[in-house]
Amino acid sequence: MNRPYLHPPALRIWHWLNAAIVMALIATGLDLRFHGIAALAPRDPALLWHKGLGLALIAVSIFWFVYSVASGNLRRHYGIKRGDLRGMAAQTRYYLGAIFTGGANPFPGTPAAKFNPLQKIAYNAVMFILLPIQAVTGLLFMNIPPLRDWLLAGELIGLLGAAHTLCSYLLILYLIVHLYMATLGETFFAHTRAMITGYEDAAQPPGQEEGNRT
Amino acid sequence: MENNLVSEEIGSRAAGAPSVPLSCTRRQTLIWGGASLLGLSALEEVLARGYDRPLIIMEQAEGMIMADPVLCVGCGRCELACTEFNDGKAAPSLARIKIDRNLNFGPPGATPWRAGHGNWGDGLIVQDLCRQCPHPVPCANMCPEGAIVVSPDTKARVVDPERCTGCGICLRACPWEMITFDPESRKASKCHLCAGKPKCVAACPAGALRYTSWYDLTGRIPLRRPYQPPLLPPLTVSCQECHLPGQGQNVREIWSMLRGLWSGGGGGRPAGGIGFKWIDMAGAIFVPLTIGAVAIHALLRKVQKK
Repeated sequence: MNRPYLHPPALRIWHWLNAAIVMALIATGLDLRFHGIAALAPRDPALLWHKGLGLALIAVSIFWFVYSVASGNLRRHYGIKRGDLRGMAAQTRYYLGAIFTGGANPFPGTPAAKFNPLQKIAYNAVMFILLPIQAVTGLLFMNIPPLRDWLLAGELIGLLGAAHTLCSYLLILYLIVHLYMATLGETFFAHTRAMITGYEDAAQPPGQEEGNRT
Repeated sequence: MENNLVSEEIGSRAAGAPSVPLSCTRRQTLIWGGASLLGLSALEEVLARGYDRPLIIMEQAEGMIMADPVLCVGCGRCELACTEFNDGKAAPSLARIKIDRNLNFGPPGATPWRAGHGNWGDGLIVQDLCRQCPHPVPCANMCPEGAIVVSPDTKARVVDPERCTGCGICLRACPWEMITFDPESRKASKCHLCAGKPKCVAACPAGALRYTSWYDLTGRIPLRRPYQPPLLPPLTVSCQECHLPGQGQNVREIWSMLRGLWSGGGGGRPAGGIGFKWIDMAGAIFVPLTIGAVAIHALLRKVQKK
């Protein structure tokens, strides 16, 4: 059976830590959002959890960045390459058409390139646009004495809140699609299992069906 | 003999009026007695109806005045500025910011029989200001006329003088005693943040007052007197309905938001929301849309597989 080794242990641990933190951040964030910040006590547990988890997410993301740069993960899997635009179109066509009729994925995950072009763009956007915006606005919300007064004086709090909220909705949308796409592997839990064990139960490359092997 | 004395006295009081029968017959006693009993039982009914008055939930005030008692020199110019602007006269006792009730220029009041004149401490200067309570707003909830409303510009809680009857219930409802009562006009009034440019802040020479965006101080400043919750029991329960976790409040708010969207505004909004309304609306639309799209995609895959 074709079982490429896709995810090194550090990235697997990072992924699940990240997942748990983001889930808890979304839960506490929605709680804060819909109860209204103004109606909350300053030491509301949801607020404290949201702050603490936000800092944890920043720490975990910095770890991911350092590890990815050092290990070449970033360059190999996240770098935008020539022809990715055409690849994105092909991948979109696959998701909107060929997937229903049993067509093959044009970019199956391999140790050389584990993300398809769409995935690459989405992960780049999340890791380098959305998460940094969330981190910066979130840090600015914290009560840092001189910053707080400047922000209140400039009436920037509302703008920061809008940015933070907008990006959180975008992250929620991304997460929904991500969770669904995670089930599109060879079996329902193929990608999830790969994220736990590191080995993907991938489809046989063409010409190497079970019968053709010795 | 006694009857005569009483009737004589009544008669002398009603002197000049045409003589009317002053005695109370048994018939009248029964009628009025029955009517009073009926009235008292109806009163109970009316009081009971008062209990399930809906809880008044107000939009959060945008600003508040922060006072630093360390910087305050107790000159009282804020009070003069307040009453000059709001009442057109210099009357510190009517000011919505309260300095004078904490001042005392007399004896220190160390002994109980020589207490000073300050209400809450002798010589201690602590500026008292309306906290612009988040809901529940005790004064607004207790006002029988619904006269305490949200001002359109700063969202401060203000007394509508048209509706105020001067009953003084709000004076007792506020745990910080921040409602002012003008004995001349017989109307209550309270701090309304002067349309976002508070006169007391402008008048303070010591920089002890600051106008900032609203911040919850209600739980942090000690009450001026033991707080007896003005909320009646059923209203307290309705607080918990919103504030306990695991309620369907989010769903309800998003639903009312969507309803407001296609009925052209006027819909609900998450309480105290920072930022822009459209973000929440877009979120409320796109999150279900994405879930729906994903579900349809999965369904189509399943159908095509068969």
